[in-house]
Amino acid sequence: MRKIITCFLLATLSCQLHAGGYQVSLHGQKQIGMGLVGTSLTMDGSSSFYNPGALAFMQDTYSILAGVSAIKSYNLFHMQGTLYEARTENPLSTPFYIYAAGRITDNLVAAIAVNTPYGNSLSWEEGWAGRFLIEEISLRAITIQPTISYMINDKFSIGAGLVYATGSVDLTRALPMEDQYEEGSLNISGSTSNWGFNAGVLYKPNEEINIGLSYRSKINMDVDDADAKFSVPLSLQTQFPANNKVAVALPLPANLDFGISYDVNEALMVGLALNYVFWEAYEVLAFDFETNTESLQDSENPREYSNKLIIRMGGQYKVSEVLYIRLGGYYDPSPVNEIYFSPETPSVNNLAFTAGLSYTVIPGMSLDLSFLYINGLEKEAEYSPENFAGRYKSRAFIPGIGISYNF
Amino acid sequence: MKMKNFIYIICSLVLISCEPEMDNFELSEGNADFSTMVAVGNSLTAGFADGELYRSAQLNSFPNIVAQQMMHVGGGEFKQPLMKNDYGFGNRLVLGIINGNLAPLPYGNDESAVNFPSIFDEEGPFNNFGVPGAKTDHLLANGYGVLNEYFGRFAKNINTSSILGDALMTDPTFFLLWIGNNDILSFAMSGGVGETITNIDYYRTIINTIVDELTAKNAKGAIANIPDVTSAPFFTTIPPKGLILNAQQAANLNLFYANRPHIQFSEGPNGFVVHAAMHIVDSIRQLTQDDLLLLSVPQDSLNAGWGSTKPIPPNYFLSKQQIDEINTAVYQYNEYLEGIASIYELAYVNINSLLKKAVRGIYFDGVSFNTQYVSGGVFSLDGIHLTARGNVIMANEFIDAINNKYNSSIPKVSVTDYEGIIFP
Repeated sequence: MRKIITCFLLATLSCQLHAGGYQVSLHGQKQIGMGLVGTSLTMDGSSSFYNPGALAFMQDTYSILAGVSAIKSYNLFHMQGTLYEARTENPLSTPFYIYAAGRITDNLVAAIAVNTPYGNSLSWEEGWAGRFLIEEISLRAITIQPTISYMINDKFSIGAGLVYATGSVDLTRALPMEDQYEEGSLNISGSTSNWGFNAGVLYKPNEEINIGLSYRSKINMDVDDADAKFSVPLSLQTQFPANNKVAVALPLPANLDFGISYDVNEALMVGLALNYVFWEAYEVLAFDFETNTESLQDSENPREYSNKLIIRMGGQYKVSEVLYIRLGGYYDPSPVNEIYFSPETPSVNNLAFTAGLSYTVIPGMSLDLSFLYINGLEKEAEYSPENFAGRYKSRAFIPGIGISYNF
Repeated sequence: MKMKNFIYIICSLVLISCEPEMDNFELSEGNADFSTMVAVGNSLTAGFADGELYRSAQLNSFPNIVAQQMMHVGGGEFKQPLMKNDYGFGNRLVLGIINGNLAPLPYGNDESAVNFPSIFDEEGPFNNFGVPGAKTDHLLANGYGVLNEYFGRFAKNINTSSILGDALMTDPTFFLLWIGNNDILSFAMSGGVGETITNIDYYRTIINTIVDELTAKNAKGAIANIPDVTSAPFFTTIPPKGLILNAQQAANLNLFYANRPHIQFSEGPNGFVVHAAMHIVDSIRQLTQDDLLLLSVPQDSLNAGWGSTKPIPPNYFLSKQQIDEINTAVYQYNEYLEGIASIYELAYVNINSLLKKAVRGIYFDGVSFNTQYVSGGVFSLDGIHLTARGNVIMANEFIDAINNKYNSSIPKVSVTDYEGIIFP
């Protein structure tokens, strides 16, 4: 048995999620288990993220949840017209969530949600051919969302939350200037914060059917004074001041989610969600350096993402009073423009399968497990401004564990 | 125990299947036979760089890169007449700093003269017949090794061998031919002093003979055209109107040239003063935007008054008329080369068009290139020959043309696998 556990851990450690672009959708083990369908569900405090409108329908008075997923992702690149192949050595990334919700009056629920809805963690193999575009990138965003939800009647509820997002960026690329020892490089790191909102409604036409609609606003992450550290040959250092500053901005795109779920019988529930992501917000990645020189100019790198619809389906089956099992899947098309496809976010069309279970440890407390497998379909694309073309493919294994306490 | 093994197998399967896989690039020789390939040409084919032929640059020669890639589709060994070290004959340049500015400096000398002896008996026969300095008719010249030590050191018989003759002796099944640059370039690099452009009719005859002989045994091949030689940094780096003066200096020079009213100076950039022709005292004029000043102008002479009080000799610049002659020759040569490629059904490698793109700036694999001196990344420190990455770009152009012509699928190479210019 210990061997099995060791193996599972190894598999976990050796095996990220790009829910298209750099959005991460791992915000509840139960939802992950059923294809990340969540907009119409009223299970617990996780509704504060998935649909604040649904929160007022949560079954208990108090709901406290916490969970974490371990993303192990692999990216593969084949350069066009060559035998060249490169892989990523991505670090394990661990998005998490914490929710605490409580009923204040019969109709009013207040909650606080802390989670990580955006992120990207990518590390290409050392010395790879795309190193002048990107070697390593780490984007992290943590959001804190105080939320209230109000049940207007037994069919209809609304809710909204204020989203405070704090994020950081750290990226490294090689520079094509070398001395006899090494190539030059540029590291940019910085952090910022901003505000947004999350709002939704839930409609229950009858006991069996839930219909949810929610909207999470775009949040512009403007890092105005990131550190830009240049490492270049001695003779070029006047052209590339070692400790420069740079302004860089990244939008966290808005989401419009629609979900419907149906209780087929006492034991079986099925759901469908449509997730529309307003990726058009990501038009350009601009670097505005505080000190410019003849050789160091500001740069505008086109991204031109397009809006995408993610289709999710899943279901939950109650095996016994203490055990629920879940299955699901989704199709998440790449928002990345085919001619501005940069290896910093090599997001391809994803086909994902999910499974999960909940086991009631003591009454009210359940242990929630999920597993998500994302198959990134092969895509031929290029970053045409810098003539970097090839085929990309990816794969991700994401086990998750959480605990929820409803009472 | 068996259960344990089973678990391990399952686990390792899980681990292996974690990594995504894709189909590889599909290789094919198409309808060509790359088993014995020869490259025939001049210094560009030889792998000459930074003003010298030296070992590590030869290893990065574009024919060697093409040959390595051909090995994936049935290509054989590609032997180059490698120099013994990275000094070559002692003229190599390396980037250094003079008075706080980047400048090409001597790399060092080959004290042991180890690169001079003939190496044919020991290492031959070879596949790379790129000979620095060779003009088109030199390929056919018997005993050319006596005149050109670069060929002399690897000729089968220094007194009788011709470059083409030695190449044909290997019974090539495929050839890369890039010849004619020096027929124009030697004129251009000498400022038109003591050199002439090879007459187009003569060039046609010689090219025809060479291609005839190379294809006599049904060898296939690729033939490259001639770039606009004056786009190279050797001709574009020093601005012809680079004489920067303040008001006082301009007034002094106007006084100095008071008896030559066509020579005028003002504050700011001025055209350098040149001798338009040797030995004619009254042919002094100032350069205009239409002229080109060569990188060979000694920098210390410029600092010591060349171009202002002392006219620059005619071997250091090209007049508009000379540039026109050069451009006409390039056009005529290429017109003929394209026709030859078509008649003999050879892959036609359009280096001229590639260099035109590079003049405007071009990216490969995330690296930007242009034709500027040093910073452009294409041209080595002599301003004429290519860097390692420049050679990769050239090799990929050859491969593209060959793949197109012969329906083959030779894989290309990433520029990022090769070094750029090394900065101090």
